[in-house]
Amino acid sequence: MTQATVASEATREGARGGTGMVRRRRRRRTIAPYLFSAPAILLYLGFTVIPVIYALQSSFFAQRLTGGGVLGIKRTVFVGWGNYLGVFQDASFLSGFGRLAIYGIIAVPLTLGLALLFALLLDAPGARIRGFSRTMIFIPYAVPGVVAALMWGFMYLPSTSPFSYVTRQLGLGSIPFLEPHGLFGALANISIWGGVGFNMLIIYTSLQSIPDELIEAARLDGANEVQIALRVKVPLVGPALVLTSIFGLLGALQLYGEPTMLKPLTNSISDTWAPLMTIYRDAFTLDNLPAAAAASMVLAVGTAVVSLAVLAIVRALTRRNNA
Amino acid sequence: MRHTKVLTAAIAVVLGAIGITGCSSSGSSATGKVTLNYWAWAPGSAQEVADFNKTHTDIQVNYTNAGGGPQSSAKLLTATRAGNAPDLSLVENTSLPRMVVAGAPLDITKYVKDVKNNFSQGSWSQTTFSGQTFGIPQDVGPMALLYRKDVFAKYGLSAPKTWQDWRNDAATIKAKDPKLIMASLSTDGWGWYAAVAAQAGDNWWTVKKDGSWNVNIDGKGSRDVMSFFEGMYNEHLIAADPILSPTYNQQLNDGTMLSWPSAVWAPGVIEGVAPSTNGKWALAPLPRWNADDPTVSFQGGSSVIVVKTTKHPEQAAEFAKWLNASATGANLILNVQNGYPAALSGQQAAAQQKPPALMPQQTDYYSIVQQIDKHTSAVTWGPDTDIAASAFTDAMNAAVQNHTSWAGALTATQKAVVADMKKQGFKVTEGQG
Amino acid sequence: MSAITTRRSSTTGRSHLQTDRAKVLPTLILLIGAFYCLIPVAWVFIAATKAPAELFSSFTLSPGSGLVANLRSLFTYGGGTYGLWAANSLLYAGVGGIASTLVSTAAGYALAKFQFAGSRIFFGALLAGLLIPGITLAIPQYMLLSDLHLAGTRLSVLLPCIISPFGIYLCRVQANGAIAQEALEAARIDGASEWRIFRSIALPLMVPGMVTVFLLQFVGIWNNFLLPYIMLSDQRTFPLTVGLSQLLNQGSASPALYSVALIGAAVAILPLIALVLFLQRFWRLDLISGGVKG
Repeated sequence: MTQATVASEATREGARGGTGMVRRRRRRRTIAPYLFSAPAILLYLGFTVIPVIYALQSSFFAQRLTGGGVLGIKRTVFVGWGNYLGVFQDASFLSGFGRLAIYGIIAVPLTLGLALLFALLLDAPGARIRGFSRTMIFIPYAVPGVVAALMWGFMYLPSTSPFSYVTRQLGLGSIPFLEPHGLFGALANISIWGGVGFNMLIIYTSLQSIPDELIEAARLDGANEVQIALRVKVPLVGPALVLTSIFGLLGALQLYGEPTMLKPLTNSISDTWAPLMTIYRDAFTLDNLPAAAAASMVLAVGTAVVSLAVLAIVRALTRRNNA
Repeated sequence: MRHTKVLTAAIAVVLGAIGITGCSSSGSSATGKVTLNYWAWAPGSAQEVADFNKTHTDIQVNYTNAGGGPQSSAKLLTATRAGNAPDLSLVENTSLPRMVVAGAPLDITKYVKDVKNNFSQGSWSQTTFSGQTFGIPQDVGPMALLYRKDVFAKYGLSAPKTWQDWRNDAATIKAKDPKLIMASLSTDGWGWYAAVAAQAGDNWWTVKKDGSWNVNIDGKGSRDVMSFFEGMYNEHLIAADPILSPTYNQQLNDGTMLSWPSAVWAPGVIEGVAPSTNGKWALAPLPRWNADDPTVSFQGGSSVIVVKTTKHPEQAAEFAKWLNASATGANLILNVQNGYPAALSGQQAAAQQKPPALMPQQTDYYSIVQQIDKHTSAVTWGPDTDIAASAFTDAMNAAVQNHTSWAGALTATQKAVVADMKKQGFKVTEGQG
Repeated sequence: MSAITTRRSSTTGRSHLQTDRAKVLPTLILLIGAFYCLIPVAWVFIAATKAPAELFSSFTLSPGSGLVANLRSLFTYGGGTYGLWAANSLLYAGVGGIASTLVSTAAGYALAKFQFAGSRIFFGALLAGLLIPGITLAIPQYMLLSDLHLAGTRLSVLLPCIISPFGIYLCRVQANGAIAQEALEAARIDGASEWRIFRSIALPLMVPGMVTVFLLQFVGIWNNFLLPYIMLSDQRTFPLTVGLSQLLNQGSASPALYSVALIGAAVAILPLIALVLFLQRFWRLDLISGGVKG
């Protein structure tokens, strides 16, 4: 059968409202999607749903001492909302959110801003050595967090930093990368360095899909490149920007790797510098999974609220722009 | 159809890989040979295990490097709870009470009666609680001072006898060369501070006669100790950088750091980081608070435990005894692991040893160590040293950053430790006890 | 087109200057960006050439003399453990990537091309799963795998890596965009089975997306630290990330093996950099942003 005859037969069937035979075939076909998604569903159930339920359940229990003697043995005991109360009374956990806010305000806009800037520059007519720059900016994506933290650790430490070396020669002293006030920028820098390339490519490929006619029309109207970039290109890659913002936000809220890797190098980072570090410490170092689980639930709810808020704001803004 | 072939090939690769990777090693074979799993991190452990396997046909040991002390303790607890633990593990002495409370080590009192006398009272007390023995000590760290003898000689100084002497020496050298620092005491050195406070007479944890605990982290003796070192820090005589960070290592290498008050296992560490300084260091007894009292504590030290979930407790105990209590084992600990054996026979053998590579010129190194060891007392570690470590480090970081009182860190630590012990269900009292 | 350009170039002087500036400024900024991204990587390679004694005593950016010696100590460390780590990374990333791609493709196809009960819930749940930090899931996952007697084996790292919400999302976008519903319907009317339709119509059209998902998963799994760190205790099963971390965190009683770690890091990032450099054209990241419009 040719495509045309198939199509016309299908429309004839559809026009008649479908025959019984088609309906039967459609019913048989309904198991197919379940079979295709079965591996994903099973893995998801096994490695996400069940662990979440397990963690949630354990957040209502705790380890308490039983047995006499100097060193008794710990047993699991139901404590209701005790762990959650503990979370909200834990000053260091809560202050971690404050530090996250400062870190996030630096890291997320800068990552996206630079990614957008580089993407626009790559798209601008007249930029040279595009391929080289694009590749080099993407390279940090290929570097694992452990290695990145090691690299930047050496770049930050006064004794081994080439930057501090230069400023010392100029008589300005070492750059306080790892001092408490410099720390936010230093940590943000590591994640900006690692994230710009990937986000840049997402925005860049989105830019490629803008029809040339739109750009040419704007040029005809006499707009220069900067105006074209701001008025034409940026709005059209809006969806990509929203996506990268959400991911950036999620990444910032779940900050863990960079402060943990830099911790052995400086006195400015505590065990509880970021909320997820507190959760890790509770779960592993202190062998207190219930407390960690309770804190995680709080963090997850907070993350959900923030993400939904951002999406709602974006939706409201676009509606206002379109109206 | 090309795509089908690719698809089939891909699925085959995945299934094949799953088949291969699903294998794991296990327990005992039909011939009665027992296989044990042993977790440790000390350098040279692999060779120790290999030597054991060569000479024992009925027991074979698989060695796994489970990461440094704190990491492997955390993993051990999780693994025990999951039913996945090894048969034996090396455990830091500071973590052992905590592990006993968590239910990980097996009570091996009946298996080790025969080797008890090969250990000093102090060493044995690190693994025995209420008459039950939970591990065999492997290495101990009698505290001592490592110092740059060449620099001291240059300024006409000899090894300091008391802490005040040490401070005075630091001031003297500082006046002549401001770049140099006497030492760097890192903020996560809670175990070191506890040991030095014990030297001053304040024990952070003690067990009372009725089996309850007394926590005295914030006592006057400890506070004086902290203030003493804080004073030195404020006068730039010492630093407080994280231990063995690149900055620390650089200071060791270029001769900026003049001493390291630590323990007898330290030479190997310095040599690993700064081999160019070989021949310039020397060992001396740790400075004292009281010129007449030579007692020092242990710093660090580890033991081997048999994990409760093991299926072969007797064989496991046998390996632990061979490694930690026999002459061959102690020899390996000394030479391959660069540790100071807890076993008395090992310490005797050590006296015949050549000095470590860091101080080849100090031929009486090990006899000094033996002298030091005669006057050691063991520190009692509490059941929540992990909380202490975390609270102390965070509080000290804040104190150093904000230039506030170091003794305040003790208060914060005391508060966290007592609150945690009470929450866990221990009977706790506070104060000088 | 040409009319416009000639019109542009006919206006003298000012537009020429504008064109020159238009070339220099973007190029300069891009160069600075490239330089900023490269410096730390360059530093790792330089530091890897320093012998242990030189590492903390020479100027940071000057090359050392210990490259060959470092390479030797790297590959003989622990009796060849580094090679094992590299092989493990390749296994986890390669097999995990393939498996993840297959699973994501099938699921993405189903979500895109079928309306079935629970599809929206499943997809929503997948995205919601991104909210829970991996650390929280890690211990329950460890317990679960222990019950199956798989904890500590290489499978315990492979299996959790296979499920990838982002991969399924990308495949769904690709399926939506590339596969015409009419083609599927036509084949169904022809009497073809769903599996045959998937294999011969859908799959070929989804190949570009599959390659992207594979590359993303490969890099993601290769760089993953936390999951293998928690699941594995035997050094011989570690991937490069966990192995390098162990070299650096020996604890306060033994110095970090900085030299070995640095040369190890340098060697570890080479394959991924090669991957990025040579397979760039296969990265169809327009799928990611394309999906948002849809």
